[in-house]
Amino acid sequence: MSESAQSLTAKNRPVISELTDVSVTHLAARREMRTSLDDVARSTFGVALPATPRVVEAPGVMIVWAGPDQWLVMQQRGDKADIFAELAKTFNGLASVVDVSDSRAIFRVAASRPSDALVRSMGIDLDDSVFRPGDVAITHVSHLGVMVWRLPDATGYDFACPRTYSRDFLDWLGKI
Amino acid sequence: MRINCPFCGERGNDEFSYLGDASVVRPDPASPSAADEFYAFAYERRNVAGPMQELWYHTAGCHAWLVVTRDTRTHEIFEVKAAQDVAFGRQKTADTTP
Repeated sequence: MSESAQSLTAKNRPVISELTDVSVTHLAARREMRTSLDDVARSTFGVALPATPRVVEAPGVMIVWAGPDQWLVMQQRGDKADIFAELAKTFNGLASVVDVSDSRAIFRVAASRPSDALVRSMGIDLDDSVFRPGDVAITHVSHLGVMVWRLPDATGYDFACPRTYSRDFLDWLGKI
Repeated sequence: MRINCPFCGERGNDEFSYLGDASVVRPDPASPSAADEFYAFAYERRNVAGPMQELWYHTAGCHAWLVVTRDTRTHEIFEVKAAQDVAFGRQKTADTTP
């Protein structure tokens, strides 16, 4: 995933950037279609849909667990044709497929380890031994619902929040 | 109080919403005593002092309904299951009962 060049924080703080030009698609498995969905997902993306709160990456795609039998599929738009239409066609009958690109803002905090301020600000345990690279959590911060995942290469943390609240969320993020 | 969500792991109860008694089952409308059974289904609840099965919703987490077995006197939690599994299990039992 590429990031916008705009740094949103002051010097000596973790660099926070917004992931832009990203297609975000929500998949929810239809009842009793999980096995077929897994097969199609594996042949489409080259990786299995994570069954636990984890994020997996394959060339050009990041798949984030978003609840039981639900995932966010994130792909860089670039010059690609309509990514959502293609996914809707691929998973037709196996999953409910919804384009949530406009409803989610995704911010990346570049940090190999969580800062003390981040650890203190969140209700979940971010300790290295518990929140490992590739782990995902759906939780809330400062009364805002967020998804957070640690990048599999341990270079940072991504936060997805409803875009409507992104200004408030960024205010919170800027203080950590 | 912390609840061990089967999907997300252990979280504080600020992430959850409480609904109530999980043992209540919608009656059969075709039953001869359906009116009385629906009255009980809608209004009558036991005030349990001890372990009871309760429905909780993981509002700020994975949005799953859970059946939590909790001691109402001590808040000790004995078991947490996905409500979907409990409902399907109940349905399966009903289907196999002659």
